[in-house]
Amino acid sequence: MPEIQFREALRQAMVEEMQRDENVFLMGEEVGEYNGAYKVSEGMLAKFGPKRVIDTPISEAGFSGIGVGAAMCGLRPIVEFMSWSFTWVAIDQIVNNAANVRYMSGGQFKIPIVFRGGNGIAHQLGATHSHRMESVYARVPGLVVVAPSTPFDAKGLLKSSIRCDDPVIFLESEMMLNDRGEVPDGEYLVPLGVADVKRGGKDVTIISWGKCMKYAVKAAAMLESEGIDAEIIDLRTLRPLDVNTVAESVRKTHRCVVVDEDWPYGGMGAAVLEQVYKHTFDDLDAPIQRVCCEDVPSPYNHYLEIQMQPSPEKVVAAVKEVCYR
Amino acid sequence: MDGLAITLPRIGWEGGNAYGVGCLVRWSDAEMSVVDKPRVKRPTKAKTDQRAHEMLRMMLLIRRFEERTYQEYTRPGQRIGGFCHLYSGQEAVAVGIAAVFAKGKDYLITAYRDHGHSLALGMDPGAAMAEMFGRATGCSKGKGGSMHLFQAEVGNLGGHGIVGSQIPLGAGAAFACKYKNTGGVCFTLFGDGAINQGVHNETLNLASLWKLPVVFIVENNGVAMGTQVERSSAEVELERRGSGYHMPYQAFDGNDLDQVIDVVGEAADRARAGSGPTYLVANTYRFRGHSMSDAMKYRTKEELEQARRRDPLVIYEARLREAGAIGDEQLEAMDAEVRKQVDAAVKFAIDSPHPDAQDLYSDVYSEKYPLEKK
Ligand SMILES: Cc1ncc(C[n+]2csc(CCOP(=O)(O)OP(=O)(O)O)c2C)c(N)n1
Repeated sequence: MPEIQFREALRQAMVEEMQRDENVFLMGEEVGEYNGAYKVSEGMLAKFGPKRVIDTPISEAGFSGIGVGAAMCGLRPIVEFMSWSFTWVAIDQIVNNAANVRYMSGGQFKIPIVFRGGNGIAHQLGATHSHRMESVYARVPGLVVVAPSTPFDAKGLLKSSIRCDDPVIFLESEMMLNDRGEVPDGEYLVPLGVADVKRGGKDVTIISWGKCMKYAVKAAAMLESEGIDAEIIDLRTLRPLDVNTVAESVRKTHRCVVVDEDWPYGGMGAAVLEQVYKHTFDDLDAPIQRVCCEDVPSPYNHYLEIQMQPSPEKVVAAVKEVCYR
Repeated sequence: MDGLAITLPRIGWEGGNAYGVGCLVRWSDAEMSVVDKPRVKRPTKAKTDQRAHEMLRMMLLIRRFEERTYQEYTRPGQRIGGFCHLYSGQEAVAVGIAAVFAKGKDYLITAYRDHGHSLALGMDPGAAMAEMFGRATGCSKGKGGSMHLFQAEVGNLGGHGIVGSQIPLGAGAAFACKYKNTGGVCFTLFGDGAINQGVHNETLNLASLWKLPVVFIVENNGVAMGTQVERSSAEVELERRGSGYHMPYQAFDGNDLDQVIDVVGEAADRARAGSGPTYLVANTYRFRGHSMSDAMKYRTKEELEQARRRDPLVIYEARLREAGAIGDEQLEAMDAEVRKQVDAAVKFAIDSPHPDAQDLYSDVYSEKYPLEKK
């Protein structure tokens, strides 16, 4: 199987879907002539022309809303944000319009739109550019929230998202775009709303998604050498949450650690943890542990930034705690 | 500009300024002065008397519908809940737009003061009233309410509750028209208060940059809740808020149906011809409070009295009478008919069931995702 970069997987998904359906188009800041702020859309303008690969001015609320309006009228926009951090200024369009219009109209309008871009802490971008937005959007009924961790999932999930008739919040990470992974040549889809058991194990269930999956995978390898066999679940979709897969695993291992880079209070991991408790309380042999960011704005300093975030070592420590080791 | 905000500019075009596009010839202040009678004696824009009657009838239907809404809202055992904003006084804007609206092609989107536009585009008054009563037979199945009336099949993209939020959606609908080359345009309406929102700037720029077939229409009723234009906009000649985006802009008398048809029709033609957006300000007046709880302390009796003389229904009726196109008998019959229609709408709403408890969960997503089970 060919190995490609995460960004190439995203691009393949968009290109294939744009070839498949002429109502699909891409718009965002610098997606066209500049070839993408992070080169995800490289070459797409040349391939599809300016009608379908559209450079926008810096108007996140404006072009998000234009996307939603276009989706109400039969198009299937892909809206790229340079960073999800910049969607605080567009949130009204995403929450009040993309998510609500279907319900408020009694189902008269569908909103097939994908909003995508880098989410979370990259490297030394400071407090304004390091927001983790999953908890902001995953709490909103009407939105689907997707966060892939591998090139294979990124491509399959993005294709499913583009075909989805509901608004999808697609969370990537600048820190993953160079990652390489196997992606088959032919067409495939990864279904929305289905978690993936990325590693089987019997002693503890580690739940994560997106960039933090790396910490989970590393931690599992470290734990193996200490005789702890961890099962890792990649949620892949944060809304709707695949509670069944998670609960099945925890019923088997009786122990659970949730790893995410959101803030501790009211964060995404807290919401996941509540769901796990609700479905598996009687099966648990230890309180669930959460590894997440410190309760501070994201610092600029390299060392402070590392200190603020989860790490494989922090995951290992949390696992040992739930295993009483 | 006084609180009435009635100006009657007539706009001419002059080809070929530095940018090679039309530029606006503004009329002098004297010519734009406030008047309280239709200044020009002229025949109606309607091609036939029947068409004129239909439009007058629609304005009357909206007026009677809103009066009844007021009664239903304020009567003991209130059957309409939430926030509710009446359109009385602004009818000519919606009806004029509907007159140039190409059904099946065009779109209209507006804010929460949306009853008039919905009726003008052909919504059954029963479906509108039932929606306000929260009934399952309402246009949005009782899930939208007064502020969120939608009718997809006629291109009614709805009423929207967040001030200014619908402005980019309207440009998006126009984007879809252009992308699919349908020849459609989107009439994008908002209030004088909404022009102070950030998306107003973003959308005007984007729409003009991309030459989208959109007609922006500010329904300037002079006041946003209790804040007069003079206290909200540094530039009180609101049409000038459309300058700086490289598109034509113009104010007109939104209470004069014929003028609405003229000006909006011309802007729609420009959009259809691929010349991009136009920024229009329909100067009008709302007779009722902002919403039901508004005692209108910010208005004087004189102001209201003057406004009543500029009632869009009165203006149009007078014009039809002058032209000999309508008489007492016809008017009385029309009013009786309209009242009956409104009675029937209320009866339909009362007789309609509330949504099922199960309906709480429908229409959130199009698809059933595998794991979302109740
Ligand atoms: C973002 C936002 N802020 C405030 C409100 C409350 N609000 C509703 S209508 C309104 C006044 C808007 O006036 P205008 O745009 O002139 O429209 P009009 O009501 O006159 O039709 C306000 C402040 C709101 N709905 N949304």
